[in-house]
Amino acid sequence: MDFSDLHKQLKSMEGVSKVSHIRKNVIKLDLEKSVSKVFFTKLKDDFYFEHCSLITAIDNQPDFELVYHLSCLSGELSVDGTKMSAMVEVHIHLQRDSPSVDSVSDLWFGANWHEREAFDLMGIYFIGHPDLRRVLLPEGFAGHPLRKDYVYEIHEEEW
Amino acid sequence: MAEMWISMGPQHPMTHGLWTLKVKVDGETIVDADPELGYLHRSVEKMGERRKYFMNTTLTDRLCYASSTTWTHSYVLAVEELMEVEVPTRAQYIRTIMLELQRLASHLMWAGAYMPDLGHITGALYFWRDRELFLNLLELPSGSRLLYNFMRIGGVKRDLPDGFEEKTERILKLFEQRLDEYADLFENSKIFRMRTEDVGKFTGSQAMNMGITGPNLRGCGVKHDLRVEDTYEIYEEIDWDVCTREAGPGYSDCFSRYMIRIDEMKESVKIIRDCFKKMPKGPTMSARVPIRASGEAFRRTEDSRGEALMYLVGDGSDRPYRWKIKSPMFTTISACPHYLKGYKLADIPAIMGSIDICIGETDK
Repeated sequence: MDFSDLHKQLKSMEGVSKVSHIRKNVIKLDLEKSVSKVFFTKLKDDFYFEHCSLITAIDNQPDFELVYHLSCLSGELSVDGTKMSAMVEVHIHLQRDSPSVDSVSDLWFGANWHEREAFDLMGIYFIGHPDLRRVLLPEGFAGHPLRKDYVYEIHEEEW
Repeated sequence: MAEMWISMGPQHPMTHGLWTLKVKVDGETIVDADPELGYLHRSVEKMGERRKYFMNTTLTDRLCYASSTTWTHSYVLAVEELMEVEVPTRAQYIRTIMLELQRLASHLMWAGAYMPDLGHITGALYFWRDRELFLNLLELPSGSRLLYNFMRIGGVKRDLPDGFEEKTERILKLFEQRLDEYADLFENSKIFRMRTEDVGKFTGSQAMNMGITGPNLRGCGVKHDLRVEDTYEIYEEIDWDVCTREAGPGYSDCFSRYMIRIDEMKESVKIIRDCFKKMPKGPTMSARVPIRASGEAFRRTEDSRGEALMYLVGDGSDRPYRWKIKSPMFTTISACPHYLKGYKLADIPAIMGSIDICIGETDK
C-alpha cells in the first residue's frame, strides 16, 4: 500500500480533520476524542502501524493536547515507491476539567509506559489502562510537574 | 512450590544503573516481573523548558553516559527542523563520523558490560581496552572523553584537527584485527554460546508491538534502520548496508543480539572510512542560527540503542514550550515481563544485559 492512498483513506474517516503531509513520510491529523479507540484500532489492524513510537502530553493552557506518533517499521507502507518508515502524527485535544482518553495500551504494549508517564507528569487519565500508576516519580508525590500551573516549592533563579 | 517475589535492585550487578526488577519466581522459574524506574529521574524535560534552545545541549549530553553525542545530535536535529536551519555539508560529514565513533564506543561499552554479566570478566577488559581507542579519537575534536557537547544547532563546535583522518585509519585497522580476536574469544566459545543461545527469545512482530527498536529489533531479522528509512545527515550518500541477524525464523535470542552489535560495529567502520573519502571542504557552522522558534517539529534518529525521537513545541520565545524525549530503552524495559517469563532466575543477567540498558536516557 502506498502512503498517498493512506492520505485519502484517512481523510474520509470519521472524526478526522486537518490531514496534512508535514514531511514526505509523515502525515499529521487532528482527531476527535470520542472516536479515538476506533481510529487507532483501524490504524493498527488495517494500515500496518504496528509500533507506537511516542505519546506526548502538552499543556496548552487551558486545554491539554495529546500527540501520538505511530510508525510502520516492517515496510508494508511504501512512500513514493521506496521503502521508508511511514509515520502518523495524531493530535487529540482534551478539556482541562476532564483530561481523560481511551487507553491504547491493549493495542500496542509499547504505549503502556508512555501512558503511565503522561499520567505521572501531566495528569492525563487513560480509561481502560491495566496499571495506571506513577512511573518516574515516587508514589505519593503530589501534583503533576509538567503542567504549566504546577507550583514549585523552591525559589527559582532566572537563567 | 510456593511463588514469591524477589527484588533485584536498585543496587544489583545485573541492573547497570539504578532501577529495580521485581521478579516473581516459582522455584527457579520466572513467572512474572515488574520493573520499577525513577531512581535517576532528573526531570530533563522540565529543566529544558526553562533553558534556551542552545543551552539544552548540555542536558542532552547527560541523557546517556555511554552514548552522549547521539542524543545531543537527535536534539539538535529536531531544533534545526523547528528553526529551519540549513547545515553545511562538511558539518554533516563530521557529525556522521562522530556519531559512528560514538556508536562504536557505545557498543564496546555494552559488550564490556555484558561479559561480566555472564561471568566472563576477561571480556570486559578486552572490550574496554578497545573502547579507549575510540574515546581517544572522540577527544581529539571535542576535547572531552565522555560528555562531548560537540554538536551545535546549525553545525558542529569546530572542524576536525589536523591528522585526524590518519589517526582514525590507524585505529580502525587495529580494531579490525581485534574483531577477529573477539570471534575467537566469544563467538567460538562454547560456554558463551551455552549462556546466550535460545535464551530471552522474542519475535520481530512482538518486538514492534512492545516498542523494541534498534539492534534488538534487527536481531530478530527485521530490516529496519532509521538511518536509511528516515534518513538524516548524509547516510544515504554513504556506501553501507543495514545488517540483520536471526536466531531462528523471525526471532532473536541473546546470541543474535550480541552478533548484530558486532556486525554493526563493522558497518560503522565502513561508514567512517567512506565519510573521509567523500568529505568536502567548507564551513562547519551555519551562518545564521535564530534563537527563537515557533511551531512544532520532531525528528527520529537511530541511537545506539534504538529509535530516539525528540518532539519540540515552540511558542515564539527562545525556550522550548514543550520538549519530549522518546527513549528506546524506556519501552524495552517496560516489556521485560514478556521476554523474561519462563526462563530461570540465573538467565536474568544474560537477558537483561543483552538488550543494552542505559538508565540515564530511560529515566530522563
